[in-house]
Amino acid sequence: MYHLDNEEYVKEPYYRKTTSVCPECLQPIGAEIFEEDEQIWMRKNCEDHGDFRDLISSSAKYYKWTHYAIKDKNGNVVWKFDKDGETNPPDFQGDDPRGCPYNCGLCEQHISTCSLALIDLTNRCNFNCNFCYANILQSGYLVEPTLEEIDRVMKHFRSKPIPAVAIMFTGGEPTVRKDFPEICKMAKDNGFKEVIVATNGYGFQRKKGGLEFTKKCKEMGLDTLYFQFDGINDATYEKTRGIKKLMSYKQRVIDNLRKARLDSTVLVATIAKGVTDIEVGNIIQYAIDNIDVVRGITFQPVSLCGRIAFEEREELRITNADVLKEIEKQTGGKIAMENAWYPLSTIVEFGRVIAYLADVEPIEFTCHPDCGFASYMVVDPDSGEMMPIMEYFEPLKVIDFANRFWAKIKDKEKKPLKLFEGLLGDFGKTLDQGLNYLDKTQLKARFLLGILQYMKKPGKLMELFSRLLMRGDWESISSFSYGALLLSSMHFQDAYNMDLERAKRCIVHFGVAMPDGSVKEVSFCTMNSIHRPEIEKQVAKQITAKVRAEFDTSTGQEAIEVQPEVARNGGIKKDGEE
Amino acid sequence: MSDDNVEIKDGMKIRKLTELRTNTAKAYEEAMLSRVEEFKVKNKNESQFNDVIQNTIVQAFSSLLDIKLQVDKVLGEENLKKVHKVINEILLTGL
Repeated sequence: MYHLDNEEYVKEPYYRKTTSVCPECLQPIGAEIFEEDEQIWMRKNCEDHGDFRDLISSSAKYYKWTHYAIKDKNGNVVWKFDKDGETNPPDFQGDDPRGCPYNCGLCEQHISTCSLALIDLTNRCNFNCNFCYANILQSGYLVEPTLEEIDRVMKHFRSKPIPAVAIMFTGGEPTVRKDFPEICKMAKDNGFKEVIVATNGYGFQRKKGGLEFTKKCKEMGLDTLYFQFDGINDATYEKTRGIKKLMSYKQRVIDNLRKARLDSTVLVATIAKGVTDIEVGNIIQYAIDNIDVVRGITFQPVSLCGRIAFEEREELRITNADVLKEIEKQTGGKIAMENAWYPLSTIVEFGRVIAYLADVEPIEFTCHPDCGFASYMVVDPDSGEMMPIMEYFEPLKVIDFANRFWAKIKDKEKKPLKLFEGLLGDFGKTLDQGLNYLDKTQLKARFLLGILQYMKKPGKLMELFSRLLMRGDWESISSFSYGALLLSSMHFQDAYNMDLERAKRCIVHFGVAMPDGSVKEVSFCTMNSIHRPEIEKQVAKQITAKVRAEFDTSTGQEAIEVQPEVARNGGIKKDGEE
Repeated sequence: MSDDNVEIKDGMKIRKLTELRTNTAKAYEEAMLSRVEEFKVKNKNESQFNDVIQNTIVQAFSSLLDIKLQVDKVLGEENLKKVHKVINEILLTGL
């Protein structure tokens, strides 16, 4: 197999112990991850609710590669995909004897910092997808933080020793809020470098005012749309969202983004077996055809909520490995599972080197190897065809060099040169700054030359890449990524496949403004699988007449061309309506 | 994407991706280049694309890469490994 220096490793049966939760009572229970019939499974037992078993990966070989560790002569692990993150001090000293995940807040057991901060702006939505975890129609109460509460959450994430660099607004549908553009500005004012909205496209697609709204959002600081996109066929949306003729709605969003030059969209496809898995090739080609607007695609194997029998789960369950196999199949082998994809944590050290050399805040992808995989597609200037960036490099050699480089320089970050400050005061300080600048310049040259050894192709793309390595600022990132498409597959956990080793390394954290003035920070998967109902009960508000009036289609918000019974009033039915 | 590559299956459009080529490859390439121009204008002196030293380094790097690729072909795989090992030792020495 690719990249392994010890082929025997993949022949050994996989086994490890972890902690999970009972899908019935959500209490922590022991679990085993094991190999069977070339697949990886989880089994666990709850004293009160019996045995559970769930598929973790449909490819044992691939799974074992992502858990591979390089060892030295003495058998000590010197490198693995599983990375320890730089951590912030805990926010919360929980006293729940059950420990993780019941002391979320975050507690001292969490071993990754937050790379992407999430705030639920509302649980109102113009759609009513039956699987959604945050929907006013299903909960019967409103969850919608005030501007002051949102500001408090933003300050929480930005005030930490290692602040979150990016923020994503989620919901519900965040753009149903009339103050959404102001919230984007608030994020920029608080110092977030990347402001993202997870959206079905509502505010951007409107025939009246959609373009103006898009322009306004861009002007106020919105950088990226995380755009729900299940495929190119109306029939697919009818199955996933229960809405007819939705593709024209999706296309209007892309058209308005193009006109407004808001040119950073990530298509987000929820992948369910037999429903949307047949669309992965369509989605990739759609992204390539709209490459001036689309920057990436995130495939999300569906998480299974609620009580589901094993047989039904077996029918619905799809894992990251299945998605990668499907992509390979539907792209004629051009994006191959065995050489195009890497766990997100692969580039941790590489990212740290870039951030240090460029004096920018690092983004730490120290999530668990099971959380997600990524591949980066670029256009080959010779053929005009897109191909994985791995075709331009010898990837593991680049990563190996970056790892060794980081191991050598990591102390410099914490201890910059201070030779003259003590002797010559302010003048000495200036001298030290000059020395540090020179030191960094020679480090950049060394690093660039190190990477150069493993480049396989010349061209403009490599020129932009060299700028990225030298500067690593947002200008170089933007200019490089303009010609590229980031593909990723992110499998969020549910109570059936919950692995608390993954939860502890989560880098995507919700922030919730609590009534006592504090902010509760909770990792993504535990929020949605465990904590959400309890937290929402504490912050829920009544659905008032004012809320109804604000989102009444007859008083300001125009009706949209989707199935009226789910689209009206942002999910809030008027009195007397069925 | 031509219609020849679109198959209709159970009423669904399924694209056969024999190549990952964008319909607007040329326009896209131009857009990528104009992005650089856009930064030059927008960020003025702050932009690295207007930085003479930076541009010279990038140009030198590009030439070096061209030479390196030629040398790689001549050296062959085994010799290349040895060369990489020596270069790595040099680059990591003294850090």
